Amino acid sequence: MSTSSPNSHPSSPTTPQKSPSSTTSSPKNPPPASISTSSSSTAATTTTNTSSPTKVQAALESLTSILPTPPSSLSTSPSPPAFVLLTSPEISSQISSLLRHPTSGSGDNHLCRWLYDTFHSSDPSLQLIVLRFVPLISGLYLTRITRRNRQPLAGFEAILLALYAHETTARNNHPITVTVPDLSHPSIYHESSSPQRNNSTDLNIAVISSSLEPHGTVRSTRRARIVGVALELFFSKIWVMSIESKLDFCEFLDQWAGTHHNKNDENEHDNNNDYEIDQDCNKGRILLPWELLGPCLRILGHCMLGGEKEELLLREKAYRACKSLYNRATHDVNPKAILAVGSLLRLVKMDKELDEVDYTEIHNTRVISI
Amino acid sequence: MPGSQSPVSSDHEEETGEREFRANGNSMKTAELEAKLDEGNIQEAESSLREGLSLNFEEARALLGRLEYQRGNVEGALRVFEGIDLQAAIQRFQPSVGDKPSKKGRPRPESVNNVPQHAAGLVLEAIYLKAKSLQKLGRLTEAAGECKSVLDTVEKIFQHGIPDLQVDGRLQETVSQAVELLPELWKQAGSHDEAIAAYRRALLSQWNLDNECCARIQKKFAVFLLYSGVEAAAPSLSVQIDGSYIPRNNLEEAILLLMILIRKCALGKTKWDPSVMEHLTFALSLCSQTSVLARQLEEVMPGTLNRIDRWVALALCHSGARENKEALNLLRKSLHANERPDDLMALLLAAKICSEDPFLAAEGVGYARRAITCASDDEEHLKGVALRMLGHCLGRQTKVSSSDYERSSLQGEALKSLEEALSFESNNPDLLLELAIQYAENRNVNAALRYAKQFIDATGGSVLKGWRLLALILSSQKRYPEAQVVIDAALDETAKWEQGPLLRMKAKLKIFQSLPMDAIETYRYLLALVQAQRKSFGPVKASPQADDDKVNEFEVWLGLANLYSSLSHWKDVEVCLEKAQSLRQFSAETLHTEGIMYEGRGLVKEALASYTNAVLLDPNYVPCKVLLGALLSKMGSQALPVARNLLSDALRLEPTSRNAWYYLGMVHRDDGRNSDAAECFQAASMLEESDPIESFTSVL
Repeated sequence: MSTSSPNSHPSSPTTPQKSPSSTTSSPKNPPPASISTSSSSTAATTTTNTSSPTKVQAALESLTSILPTPPSSLSTSPSPPAFVLLTSPEISSQISSLLRHPTSGSGDNHLCRWLYDTFHSSDPSLQLIVLRFVPLISGLYLTRITRRNRQPLAGFEAILLALYAHETTARNNHPITVTVPDLSHPSIYHESSSPQRNNSTDLNIAVISSSLEPHGTVRSTRRARIVGVALELFFSKIWVMSIESKLDFCEFLDQWAGTHHNKNDENEHDNNNDYEIDQDCNKGRILLPWELLGPCLRILGHCMLGGEKEELLLREKAYRACKSLYNRATHDVNPKAILAVGSLLRLVKMDKELDEVDYTEIHNTRVISI
Repeated sequence: MPGSQSPVSSDHEEETGEREFRANGNSMKTAELEAKLDEGNIQEAESSLREGLSLNFEEARALLGRLEYQRGNVEGALRVFEGIDLQAAIQRFQPSVGDKPSKKGRPRPESVNNVPQHAAGLVLEAIYLKAKSLQKLGRLTEAAGECKSVLDTVEKIFQHGIPDLQVDGRLQETVSQAVELLPELWKQAGSHDEAIAAYRRALLSQWNLDNECCARIQKKFAVFLLYSGVEAAAPSLSVQIDGSYIPRNNLEEAILLLMILIRKCALGKTKWDPSVMEHLTFALSLCSQTSVLARQLEEVMPGTLNRIDRWVALALCHSGARENKEALNLLRKSLHANERPDDLMALLLAAKICSEDPFLAAEGVGYARRAITCASDDEEHLKGVALRMLGHCLGRQTKVSSSDYERSSLQGEALKSLEEALSFESNNPDLLLELAIQYAENRNVNAALRYAKQFIDATGGSVLKGWRLLALILSSQKRYPEAQVVIDAALDETAKWEQGPLLRMKAKLKIFQSLPMDAIETYRYLLALVQAQRKSFGPVKASPQADDDKVNEFEVWLGLANLYSSLSHWKDVEVCLEKAQSLRQFSAETLHTEGIMYEGRGLVKEALASYTNAVLLDPNYVPCKVLLGALLSKMGSQALPVARNLLSDALRLEPTSRNAWYYLGMVHRDDGRNSDAAECFQAASMLEESDPIESFTSVL
């Protein structure tokens, strides 16, 4: 019988997944705050219902027991601990390498539990720390889940579900929509000469992200949606995210696209993949339904055209990912993706060719007069 | 005023000759003053300038500051500017202008205040240059503060906005530059909210900006909104005019600004900027609003875009909005021999569109073959895609092929192309599914089973179609319990609103296993689901879009009607059909079931009418053709030719219809063509061995 394998592993019940037990029949997941108290972190138990600094301190302490080498900067740094957690390259790289470990992501993985608990602390600054690792977690999860030798990934799933549940509550059954403007209606930025038609009835309303159903487990047909929502959440805070997390994202997007690069691209590719052993381009290819691709495109747009122009490494990696994605869009003959990704590529090219004039500079004149 | 030339007019003589100061009819070389400044003697330089050109303190400082700034010595410029109490200078001329009430119809108090306007211009330029100097020194927040004070002052002087006419050119230039600089400064300083506020202030207040400058700010703001990731709060209530469109989020605001920019260009107010269209393409594709994008592309004046580029972009837009006919027409133009016949992407898109329509499939084969030729020299990696499209088109072409021979050769070719495509793209799950369906339709069930399993493996079971296909293939092998297991596994992997098709299939499997009560139980659950769905979403109209992720109520009633009809519970069938018909009035499927019901009750005439209506409604609806043929075949020898025609036609549309073969066999037998009849019966019995509970293509 062929069907036993694909669905056997994701639903293996583990501690973090217990709380929202019945999946679709429960009307709504309990709010995040209540989940955090029931979860089973050992180090954080001393805090009951305390203010943020204590929560942060507790989170830090429990993290120190998980990391291989306790970070030195924590005790000495004058900055607030949450800020240190978010910005310290030492801690981030340790967490990243733990996450990237081949056996990470199981339900009893301490780091996954820590991330899960930390997100549920309902402290915004701590939640940012979890969001910072969303690209890495989504990337590892989606890449590993389709591998032949399946490994337990309930730890990753628990974190992603926590983010999803948070967003489900926040959106309160409303989709995210965009009312596409129509220039025949006047707007705050322009006047319209044509007679006013009846208000907004004939405007196009586009659904960017449909309303969310609560899920207690990752059902495989909803997997892309759940990860997509986590990425939407990441994008909503992307301007405070570290460049490394964006680099992680671009790396995985490149893998997900899974298309061959041209020969001359291979060389530059070789020098920057020392951590993943099996980074064969074709291995990481996954299906990219719009619910996953949409948020990815927004993040990619930010990496390529938002942020600072000086972030060369990010721009370069994002450009590579973009090219892979364009190839993939052509492979899938997906018109929407071809349009969106193609325009990003052309914009970057224009950006490079453009010799920008600074119009805020004054004319240098020979005669200076009053 | 003598000597007050605008900087623009002296452009042509710059770079040559020595710099000089000019004021009040006198001029003075700068070299001597530069030396003094270099020694740090600002005051000496200032006083000799005041004497030489008879200037006051502020004027002399402003000139010296500008000199230092032009020399690239921004720190020096800053020192010079810091010597002036700029705020006090501003205060001096402010009230005299500010409290002037508007005269007559034209509220333009400035016309009588030329001198203060000029003085203000000089001071504002000094503050502006101070801001620029600070920017160059990396003191961004301070720079923004200075820049902002320029704008605050201007707003106080011109309380009704800057008029189009009668404003000092140099003052206007400073104002425009300050308006443009402020948001950039906040952006560089990392103060996103201030940057957004500054952009809106630039665009919503009257600064009398020229078109190009305004367009630059609009574009920069749109880019910031699209890519920065900072969610802007909605514009303040004060700027909202009744009845006008107010953007509520970043995407809306960015799209609005970009559309305005394109409109401006179409009106000839600004130069064409290709990046604006690209940004809009990105934004509208993200919203899946490619049909709106198509309209924008059509608005662009001829001559600005390459026409072939425009055709292809429009084709992509239409295809993205599922307007395939328009898309294909545009692609035909762009792929014409005189235009760009080797555009690989266009060829692939054309082939894909054609592959969805049997009557276009032959045309699609042509595009796919051209794509294969193009791909082999240029982009090898797309050859797999081209082969895949070829396979699709050939497979689709079989639906309209006129002879058995042609059909089987097309089918063979289709499979060959798909298999070849797989050698290029072994990692493409979609291809696995397509192969599985193609083999299943060919009744090569073992191969189909293999590919269906591979597909589920490769996708981690994330695609519903895969599960359904696997269950159908197993059902065609009469392995009902295993199919049942697959369906149960799939139910575990789907959210409840998507379970409709799975549950209906489950009920069908129960019937085939002679467990009608279980089947009815399943339907009871489905109906409960429909109820729950109604509660949480409100009544769902039976529109084709709503089918995607909701339980389709029509299908549920129809399925239940079919279930009762298989049990010959005609009363219940009638009730269910009524429900179904109230959701979708005209449907070949309901007429089909209705016909069976009449036939079951012995109402042959009514049954005939139902079947005929169904065929009239959808000439390609095979089941009714078969039943109509079967019914006619029982009506005596006169009707036999008609029956035979109908059944042959049904077989042309669906060569694997077991019933059609069977009844055709009956017709042949009744007509006395025994060998023909035997062949038909043979075909029917062979097909019966591999008959799925639903047609394989129903998963698509």
